[in-house]
Amino acid sequence: MSRFTDYTEKCRRISNSFYNAGLEKARIRDLTGASQCLKRSLQFDKYNTDARNLLGLIYYEIGETAEALVQWVISSNLQQDHNRATYYLHELQGKPGRLEDESVHIRRYNQALMQAQNDNPDLAILQLQRVVDHKPNYIKAHMLLALLYLEKADYTKAGKSLYQVLQIDKNHPKASWYMSVVKKNTGRADIERRRLKNAFSHHQMEDDDIILPPSYKENTGWQMVLHIIAGFAIGAAAIFFLVMPSREAQLHEEHNQELNRVLEQVNQKNMEIDRLENQEAVVQDARDDAETRLQGMIQEHAGVLAQYQTLVRILQAYKNEDFPTAAELYTGFDASLIDEETMMAIVTEIRTDMEERGWQVLADQGSQAEAAGDHELALTYFRNSLNIRGDNPQVMLDMAMVYKAMEDEEKANELFGQIILNYPNTEQAAQARTERGY
Amino acid sequence: MINFEEELKQFKPSLEVEKIEDAIVDSDLTDMADIMMNLIKEGSESKKRNE
Repeated sequence: MSRFTDYTEKCRRISNSFYNAGLEKARIRDLTGASQCLKRSLQFDKYNTDARNLLGLIYYEIGETAEALVQWVISSNLQQDHNRATYYLHELQGKPGRLEDESVHIRRYNQALMQAQNDNPDLAILQLQRVVDHKPNYIKAHMLLALLYLEKADYTKAGKSLYQVLQIDKNHPKASWYMSVVKKNTGRADIERRRLKNAFSHHQMEDDDIILPPSYKENTGWQMVLHIIAGFAIGAAAIFFLVMPSREAQLHEEHNQELNRVLEQVNQKNMEIDRLENQEAVVQDARDDAETRLQGMIQEHAGVLAQYQTLVRILQAYKNEDFPTAAELYTGFDASLIDEETMMAIVTEIRTDMEERGWQVLADQGSQAEAAGDHELALTYFRNSLNIRGDNPQVMLDMAMVYKAMEDEEKANELFGQIILNYPNTEQAAQARTERGY
Repeated sequence: MINFEEELKQFKPSLEVEKIEDAIVDSDLTDMADIMMNLIKEGSESKKRNE
């Protein structure tokens, strides 16, 4: 069994060697030689997928699409994974109508072959021309067409077909042979032979021999002028096509560098602006804060000053023995803002006096204003009286009566309710109940 | 010189796309390994017969 394994390994190596030779030949477009090597490679190892796929490609290249499909189908069956043949099959079968077209051309060639073999060469030529128009890489069709043209001694047309074949398959033996016949009959062979002879001829040169190129001619005056003009034109073209692009590229480069520099500067300036804007915002906040604090201090001091002024005016009223004015001023006086020791004693004395008799003076003034029909003034006096001494049901009742006179039932009832609730056993409560209709 | 008749006889029809399946079925995929396997099998059988 080990001997068999050795043989198998040797076969695989030989197959690979044939494949490599086939690949080399395919690369230089020796397709006939390549296909022979690849067939030999497959005889040694049928599992050589690369060889089979390449053989299919060569068939496809020479127009034998069906043969190519056979090889690729077998290949994809022998090796189902990671096989390029699958891609080839997909490419061929994936495009709608492609296989049908191939089929039509192949069938047309087969018909032309039958017509040619049945002594109908003209019809065959017409068919083959249509085939090669649509399928210019179909070697068999070209070869048959060339043979038919050769039989008709139309060597030029035969040569065109053979030239096409040799472009596809450089070493196609029969095409080379047919081409040699064409060249012989068109005189092309003699020309090539002479050219070859000149290229490789050797004879002893004398010292005086001058080698003149076949294209050499003596220049006339006009020709010289033309040559100079042509030289200038070539020089200008060289500058335009060789120098200008590099200069243009250099300018582009410089321009880009300059642009980058400017962008960098703009970027730095933007960063500087952002920094300054941040600083400005901080300073603005600090200024607003300081202004707010200053405003507060001003207001505070103004309030304190106003209270001192009010205090002076109260004292002045006392001095003038105008107690009603003093009581009225006291209602707008904020004693908490007075913090001097000497003034505090005066303030305490005034407060005591106001709580004893100030409320009564204001209540009396309210009654007088109400009697005079000035409801608003009466309400102000009553309200100030209650600010000095809130625990006073009589003033509350008087105030409620003013509201009632002003037809403000809601506020009047609210005050009646407070009297009934807070002072239930008083005369004012009884009167309030009567007013409320209880 | 080219013998037209002889040359024409050597041209063979191309395989048509519709006949691919038949061509695959008829393909001879025998390679050298298969031939050797058969030879080894025949050799061992004849050896057994001789014994």
